[in-house]
Formats: sequence, C-alpha cells, structure tokens
Amino acid sequence: MTSNPHSPMVANTHSGEETLRLIASLPAPEGIEERVHKVLRAAPPCMGQVVAWPAGVGLRVLPQSNHGNWMRAAAAAAIVFVVVGGGWGVYSRVEQGQSGKVVVMPARVPASGGFSGAGAIRTPETLPGPKIGEPGAREQATPASTDRSPRTPAGNKEAREPGRQPAKKAAATKNRSVQPVPSQVAPQPTVSK
Amino acid sequence: MSTSQAIYAGWMEIPTSAVNEDARRRAEDAAISALVDQYAAALYRVAYSVLRNPSDAEDAVQEAFLRVLRHRETLSEVRDHRVWLIRIVWNIVLDRKRRAKTRPETDDVAELARVLPSKGLSQEEIAAAAQHHGRVLACVERLPSKEREVLLLSAFEELTSVEIASVLGITESSVRSRLFRARNLMAELLDFERSQHERNLR
Repeated sequence: MTSNPHSPMVANTHSGEETLRLIASLPAPEGIEERVHKVLRAAPPCMGQVVAWPAGVGLRVLPQSNHGNWMRAAAAAAIVFVVVGGGWGVYSRVEQGQSGKVVVMPARVPASGGFSGAGAIRTPETLPGPKIGEPGAREQATPASTDRSPRTPAGNKEAREPGRQPAKKAAATKNRSVQPVPSQVAPQPTVSK
Repeated sequence: MSTSQAIYAGWMEIPTSAVNEDARRRAEDAAISALVDQYAAALYRVAYSVLRNPSDAEDAVQEAFLRVLRHRETLSEVRDHRVWLIRIVWNIVLDRKRRAKTRPETDDVAELARVLPSKGLSQEEIAAAAQHHGRVLACVERLPSKEREVLLLSAFEELTSVEIASVLGITESSVRSRLFRARNLMAELLDFERSQHERNLR
C-alpha cells in the first residue's frame, strides 16, 4: 500500500481511527467489577447434576443416599442386560459359516455338426443366416463389379474393351457356375447295378 | 457402638470425591473472581465500542461472565483467558446489536461531546470535535460488517493482529486485508462526507 501521510484521504483515515481509539480508551464505569461479582453470586448454580430419584420410588426404610445408589446400580444393570440381550439375540439369529448358494448348471451338450458354445452358459437364438442366391444372378452381377476393381494396366485395358472379360475372372466365374452350392444339392438317386 | 449405629455412621460419612468436588468448585470460583477483577474493564470497553451505550455494555460484560460461570469446567483448557473472554463478549455484543438494530446512542453529537475527552478545548472546539467524531462514527456504521469489526478491534491498542484473528476466528492475513480495505473505504467515505459538508456550507 502506498501511503502518503500528507494526502487528505490518509489524514481523514487517521482521524477516523483516532475517534475509534478515543472510544476504545474510554474508562469503564467505577465499580463494574463489584457489580459483576454480585451478579455471579446471585446466579443460580446450574452445574451438571445426577438426577435424583423421585421420592415415591423404592424403599423408605433406607436412607436416601444409599437407597439412591442401590437403585442406580440396579437400573444400570438392567440397561446393560437389555442391551447385551438384544445384541445377543440379533447375533444368534445370524447363521455363521454359511457358504453362498451355488446353482449348478447342467452340462451343455454341443449340437452335432454346429459350432461349439465355447463354454457359454446360455447362447441367444440367432437369426437365420444369409442365403446365397441363384448362380445365374451372380454371373449377371459380376461385370458390374469389375468396374470397381483396382486400376491396374491390365484392368484399364479390359475396361477399354467392355465385351471382353479378363481371363482369370472368366475362369473363376466358370468354375463357380459349375460347382453346386452344398445346400442346393439335391440327393441324387443312386443306381445300383 | 451398636451395629445399627455403625452402619448409620458409615452412611453419614462424607465421601472423598465430594470433598474434591467442593475444593475444585471453590478453586474455579476463585479463578473466575480473579478474571472479573482483571478483565471486566477491558471487556466493558470492547462492548462499549460496539454498542456505545453504557448500560448495554455493562449488561454484555455480566452476561459474558455468567457464560464463563456456566462453563467453568473448561477454564483449565483455555490458553489465553483475555482473548477467550474478549471473544465471548464480542459474540454477545454482535448478537445484541443484530437483534436491536438501533443506531448507537453516541452518534448523537451532544452525547459524544459529553462522553469523549475534551481537556483544554474551548466550547467551539469541543462542538467541532464532537461533530467530526459523529461523522466518523456514521461512516464506520456504513462499512461492511467484516471490515467494520476488524477496524473496531484494531482500535484497541492492546490487541495484536494475531489476537484479533483469534477473536474473529479468521487468519491473520485476513485481518490485514480486511483492515486495509476498511481504511480505504473509510477514507473514501470521509472524503465524500467532507465534500458534502463543504457544499452545504456554501
């Protein structure tokens, strides 16, 4: 903080604090200590005390102090008994050493000819797989797919002549059309000689 | 001595714990009495600086010592009794002021002229000083509460910034920063007041 003692603002501040100092240094009225002592002496004792038993409770032949002690001991014993008994009741109801219940699943027998379940407990039912179309339809789709083949010098050459098929692809198409689809193979009647 | 008499004598016996309790209570009473003699005046000044009413300030001091009496068993745990007592009376005073929400009595200029020391001053000077003090106190009342509290406590020369921090329950650096803000605000407010006053005189 930059403080300039000659600036009017700082002078104002100091004079303001001077007022507060004057008020803070005002003497206390005479006899304040005596008056406080008097108030403290007149104050009712409010110390923490053990609550006395009601007069009607207990035996009257014994003096009050001893009678009170005996009753307190009995009450404390009763409280301890109730607390311990309740705790024991809860504790005894809880079965100890019980292992967690284990549900044994039946062993899965894998379906013959299919994929194994890889040890899965349960496998969801899947949708029917894709069906392969007619071989003729595949052949028609083949020339269109050749257009998307990577551009090699040979490919470009073939692209320039649309009527001509590349030798390798033509052979593959031919082979595919010759091989029957396993699912579509009809059982051939065997002729026994 | 018959058996019944012996038993009865046993019952009449004063247990040692009761003797100790009695002695302890007497010692605590003596300690509180010493605290009253030592700090009642200082606590009164703290209370008066906030309330600015003699009877309210004295009531606050009495209430503070009654609280001490109620919690006398904690006396032995207190390290600095002076700061502890100032903190108690400070809380009482702030609580009273919050509840009352009235302007302190000494903002009245005539009352200030009567209360504040004016040795060797002429009547005109006393009146001018009283007016100035009145303006200052009005500015103090307009400060934010946090800044005002620090400024009021800093006026007590016997309180260090560490002790002020302990009374307010804040850190010492907070005390310093609040005091800095309070002084700046006071300077601005007093400057504004002075300019207003001069304009009125013209």
